[in-house]
Amino acid sequence: MISGSIKPALLTAWLGAGLLAAVPASAGLGGDVEAVRADAAEFVGTLESAYGADYLIEQISTGSGMRIREFLNRDGIVFAVSWSGPAVPELQRLLGVHFPAYLAALAALDRPGLHRSLRVVTPDLVVEAGGHLRAYQGRAYLPALIPAGVAAADLR
Amino acid sequence: MRALAPIRAVARFGTVIAGGMLAACIGGNGVTATGSKPVTPTPNTMMLTVDTGPSAATGQINHAYVTIKVCAAGSQTQCANIDHVLLDTGSSGLRLVRSVLTAAAVTLAPELDAQGQTVEECVTFGGGQTWGPVALANLSMAGESADKLPVQVMDDTGAGAPPPASCGANGTLINSVSGFGANGVLGVGVFAQDCGAACVSASTPLPLYYGCTSAGVCAAENLALADQVTNPVAMFAADNNGIIVNLPNLQSANGDLKVQGELVFGLSTQTDNALPAIGLTVLGTDANGDFTATYNGGTTVLPALIDSGSDSYDFNDSTIATCSTGAYVGYYCPLKAPMSVFAVNSGVGVNNATNEVPFAIADPNSFVANAAAFAGLGGGGGATNFVWGMPFFYGRPVYVGIEQRAAGPYSGPFFAY
Repeated sequence: MISGSIKPALLTAWLGAGLLAAVPASAGLGGDVEAVRADAAEFVGTLESAYGADYLIEQISTGSGMRIREFLNRDGIVFAVSWSGPAVPELQRLLGVHFPAYLAALAALDRPGLHRSLRVVTPDLVVEAGGHLRAYQGRAYLPALIPAGVAAADLR
Repeated sequence: MRALAPIRAVARFGTVIAGGMLAACIGGNGVTATGSKPVTPTPNTMMLTVDTGPSAATGQINHAYVTIKVCAAGSQTQCANIDHVLLDTGSSGLRLVRSVLTAAAVTLAPELDAQGQTVEECVTFGGGQTWGPVALANLSMAGESADKLPVQVMDDTGAGAPPPASCGANGTLINSVSGFGANGVLGVGVFAQDCGAACVSASTPLPLYYGCTSAGVCAAENLALADQVTNPVAMFAADNNGIIVNLPNLQSANGDLKVQGELVFGLSTQTDNALPAIGLTVLGTDANGDFTATYNGGTTVLPALIDSGSDSYDFNDSTIATCSTGAYVGYYCPLKAPMSVFAVNSGVGVNNATNEVPFAIADPNSFVANAAAFAGLGGGGGATNFVWGMPFFYGRPVYVGIEQRAAGPYSGPFFAY
């Protein structure tokens, strides 16, 4: 869980431990820590860091009350994102290069607009989203990149 | 256990057409004299119909529709009856498809912000989003009316500003009649406004309300409560503290062709909308409009609501197979159906009842192809919330109490059954 205190040093330490080569910046899922910083700027949010079980959590809190968390594995890759708040953050950005696959899988569902709880699965990506006006929540993750022993249910 | 005395319930529920059989038509819109009503009660009951949808988008399932009368604000003549408006207890505010209004020759005046820009809105519904201007309408339902009601015009014709890049970026735009399987959405949930305080003074405005220039360039902005898309019930002169949704039990497990029930305005404001003194489960909601639910004995506490805008019980159970082909992709297709499960609801705050609800999930491939109402439909599958969708409503009255309004001994926001 997020500790509540801002620990910018964590980012640097994490990078030093895990990142051997710079990964091209792409936003959201599949991105790197630089992309997380860009996301925080895009969503006009403040950034906090904390360690999870075997991952780093970068939390973006916006002035509008939205909370976004990006989960980085030991390779410094964002393997999961989660969100909650009174609106849905721009998923095109949060899902990054995986957004087209999400859209395609969404289109294959019957009546996706009439469910306030949705699970969208592709070979590489799982998106679980739900809620309604005033309270949306969801998460998206790349099953292949989840650290061993981490349950999807913990990615909140 | 249930709210209405049996005789009363029969009289109120009108017709049920099941599997091609026409049951006896009893009653009508339920406004029958009982001898104990006030001298001139406001007609507060309207027909609620579950059928296969508007002619432009047939084949709908578990959609409860009403017919509403809409006039341009301030006009006595520019009016139309709009049928097949979807009843949605999971949102607040009226949203109408622009092409439907245009065909009915009703033009609603757009709402302008302090800078004189048009106010437009982007709202996420499940896997889709609506986009279009906020406009003012005079709405009539039964004997109730809401004047100068801020509504959203879902801009399927693109007459207004185009959606900003952030709208539609969460899925598909569902502005059209086919998007909702309806000519509009009547949000009669637990809140007076759709967004509320979060949209009034955020340091960074939410991506919900936008101010759009005449050139069609839109930027997110805050909006005062009175200007937000508003639950029309909250604007009624009377009967403005909530609603009752009455739908009968279905006749066939494989689907009924058509179901009729009623939508009642007000809670304990007239003799026909009393809250039952015993057997009522009142579930207070948090500031987000959710009570909590735990599914099938699990330990995960999920935000939950009772939602006529969802066509199925929506919840996550990885042990139930999901339909991969046919007309119900994404819904549950249990290998052995019906599959009996349960969830425990708990209210939040003062109205903190706890109640276990058993329910059953059917195999939708067994459903009658041209039916409209199905009791055992499960789906969705997201693990972040729990949704008591339309199947929950069949056979039990559902009460929705609006925030900050007293309803008998209770105070909203709450769901009750």
